[in-house]
Amino acid sequence: MKWQRKDILAIEDMSVEEIRHILHTAKVMKEILMRPIKKLPTLKGKSVVNLFYEASTRTRTSFEMAGKVLGADTTSIAVAQSSVSKGESLYDTAKTIQAMRADLVIIRHSSSGSAKFLADILDAGVINAGDGQHAHPTQALLDIFTMEEQLGEMDGKKVVIVGDVLHSRVARSNAWCLQKLGVDVTLVGPPTLVPVEMAGLGVKLTHDLDGALPGADVVMALRLQLERQQSGLFPSLREYSHLYGLTTERLKKTGKQSIVLHPGPMNRNVEISDDVADSVEALIERQVTNGVAIRMALIYLLIGGSGNVVA
Amino acid sequence: MWWLKEVWVIDPSQSLSAPRDVLVKGGQVLEMASSMTEEEVLTIAQGEPVETINAKGKFVFPGLIDVHTHLREPGQEEKEDILSGSRAAVRGGFTTILAMANTKPVIDNRALVEFVLLQGVRAGYAHVLPIGTVTKGMQGSELVEMVDMKEGGAAAFSDDGKNIQNAEMMRLALEYAKLTGLPIISHCEDKDLAGDGLMRRGVTSARMGLKGIPASAESVIVARDLLLAEETGGKLHLAHISTTESVNLIREAKARGVNVTAEVNPHHLIFCDEDITLTDTALKVNPPLGSRGDRESLIEGLRDGTLDMIATDHAPHTQSEKTRPFAEAPFGIASLETALSAVWQYLVLPGQLSLDRVIEAWSYSPAQRFGLSGGTLKPGSSADMVLFDPDFSEVIDSATLVSKARNTPFLGKSLQGFPIMVWVEGQLVQRNRTVI
Repeated sequence: MKWQRKDILAIEDMSVEEIRHILHTAKVMKEILMRPIKKLPTLKGKSVVNLFYEASTRTRTSFEMAGKVLGADTTSIAVAQSSVSKGESLYDTAKTIQAMRADLVIIRHSSSGSAKFLADILDAGVINAGDGQHAHPTQALLDIFTMEEQLGEMDGKKVVIVGDVLHSRVARSNAWCLQKLGVDVTLVGPPTLVPVEMAGLGVKLTHDLDGALPGADVVMALRLQLERQQSGLFPSLREYSHLYGLTTERLKKTGKQSIVLHPGPMNRNVEISDDVADSVEALIERQVTNGVAIRMALIYLLIGGSGNVVA
Repeated sequence: MWWLKEVWVIDPSQSLSAPRDVLVKGGQVLEMASSMTEEEVLTIAQGEPVETINAKGKFVFPGLIDVHTHLREPGQEEKEDILSGSRAAVRGGFTTILAMANTKPVIDNRALVEFVLLQGVRAGYAHVLPIGTVTKGMQGSELVEMVDMKEGGAAAFSDDGKNIQNAEMMRLALEYAKLTGLPIISHCEDKDLAGDGLMRRGVTSARMGLKGIPASAESVIVARDLLLAEETGGKLHLAHISTTESVNLIREAKARGVNVTAEVNPHHLIFCDEDITLTDTALKVNPPLGSRGDRESLIEGLRDGTLDMIATDHAPHTQSEKTRPFAEAPFGIASLETALSAVWQYLVLPGQLSLDRVIEAWSYSPAQRFGLSGGTLKPGSSADMVLFDPDFSEVIDSATLVSKARNTPFLGKSLQGFPIMVWVEGQLVQRNRTVI
C-alpha cells in the first residue's frame, strides 16, 4: 500500500490495511535489528525529536534506538531541563521545534489529545508515545506483533485485558487494535476501574476475571497505579490482588496454553504473582525487542521517503 | 424620533406577537399601533426629526437581559473588561447584563459593587448590574454584607464558579438574603463529584480518555438547594442547568411551590458531549455539555417553563489560554455576540422553540425574577429594544468580534439571524452589526 499518513496518533482512526502494513514492515525491521551490525543509512540527515513530558525509560529509549538504527539524528528533550519547566506552553514549544525543522517528533504527555494538538501545529510528522489516558498506539502495535509471533494470526482468538482500564491508554489502544483485527476482547476489573461507559470502546466488559478466563489465548495484566487506592477506587491491594491478580492457579482456568503480557513495569504480587512474572520474563524481553522494531517501522514509514519498500 | 414601520413586535409582557408600527421618542417606547400614517407620525413628532425604518419581515422585541456573564473586570482584563463586554452585549442584542462576582478580587463588598456599576455607566452601552458574592472572599464560610451591597446596586448574590459546599452555609444565605429580596444564585456543582473532570462522564469521555464529570455532580446540589429553599422559603435561582435529572427535580419542586427559578445556557441547548473532539477546547465548558438526552430534556424544560430563562454564561478567555491541550485549557465559551443568533438558527428555525418563548425567557422572565427595568415594550417604558433581521447572515470572524475573547465554537462559521439595530434607553448603540 502507499503510505499516506503524516502522524501516528491513535489506532482508533487507522484502517486494518494500515495496521497490517505496519506489522509487515516491523517484521523486516526486526530482521535488521537482529543483525550483528545494525546501522542503516536510510534516514541519514533526518532529525527525530523525542519530547517526553512524562518519565519513561523504556519507551523513550526504544524510540531513540529505533531512530539511530535507521541512521536518523535523534535528540531528546528532557522536559525538566528545558524551558518547559519554566512554564513554556506546548504551543510555544511546538513553534520552536517547527523552527528547528525537525522531521519527526515523538511526544509523550500527560494530557489526552496533546499528540493531536502537536500534530495540528507541526509540518513534521508526530508519533504519539502516550497521551494522557487516551492512546498509546505503539504499545498496542508491539503487543499485537508479539501475540502474532507467538500464536499466529489473531483473528478469531480471545484476549482478556485485566486491571485499571479506566485510566489506561494501553487498554484503550489495545481494545481498538485487537477488535479491528477480529480479536474477541474482554476488559476486566472492578466497577470503579471498568465503569459501564467503557462499553463505548465496542468490546465486552466484566468484573469477574475467573468467568472471563476460559478460552483466553492471551491475558494481559495492566500496571496498577498504586495511588488509585488513596482515591478510593479500590479498598486494598490485598483485595485487588485476590480478585484480579494473575496467578499460576488462576491462569489454568483458560483451559489452554495462554500467553501472559504486561506493558511493564510490573507490580509483583499485585497484578501479577511472582511465579507468573518469572515465567513471562522471556516474553516481556521479546516485547521490548519488538517495541524497537515497531518504532523503526513507524519512523521509516513516516519519514523514509516515498517508496516505503525496505531494501 | 424613530418610526419602525410594519415590524413584527414580540412583547411577552403584553402577550403581543403581531405586526405593528412602533414609535420611540425621548428614550421611551411612545406608541404602538396597527398602522400609522405619515401625518399622524409627524403630528406626534412635534417638529423633531423622524427616522423611518421600513422593518417589514423583521422583528422588534425588548432588549435581552442576560443574568449570567463574566466580564472579568477587575483583575483579568486580558480576557475581557466591562467596556469590551458591554459592547459585545449590545452587538449581540443584550441591553442589560448581570456581571458575575468571581473577578479578582471577588465582588464581596459595597465598594466593589459600586465600582462595577460605575464602570458600566462609564462604558455607556448595556446596563451592567453587579452580582455580589454570597460569602466573603468566596470562601464559603462567612456571609457578605448583603443589605449594604444591595444598596450599592447588587442585583443578586452568587459564589458562581465555586459552589457553596457547606449546606448549612447555603441555608443561612437563603435565610439572610430575605432581607434584600434578591435571589441567591447557586452554581450547582458538587466539587468532589466533579473532581478534576474535563467533560461529561459517558461513552465519549471514556473513549477519548478525558476524565469524566458525572451528571450527579450538578443534580445532587440542585436537589440539596431545592430542599433548602423549600425549608427556608428563600429565593433561589439555579445557574446553568444541564442535566435531565436537574430538570425533573426543578419541575417537581415548582409543583410543590418552591420559590425557585432556573436558567439554561444556549450551548447546552445546541451541543452535546458527542460533539467534543480531543483538541476542540472551544467546547470545553463547565457544567460540561451533556448527553443528547439531556439536551432534549433542557429544550423540553425551557418549553414548559420548568427552566425560566436563557442565560449565556459568557466566559471569555484569551486565545493563548484556550490554545492548549484539552486538560490544560480553561472552561468557558464566550457567547454574548453569537448566542441569540445560534438559538435562532439551531432552535427556532428548526421549530424546537418559538421566538416568542425565547424572548420571554431571555428578557421578560429575567426582569421579573431579578426586579429589573426592561423586558417590556409597553408604551412609556424605557426603549431598551432590539431590531432583529432573521435573514441577515454573518461569518463569525476574529476581525469583527468586539469582545476581547475568541473562544466561541462558531468562530469561522456562518450564522444567520442577527440583531441589526439595538437601542438602550432610546439611544441607538448598534447599527448594521457595528457598535456605535
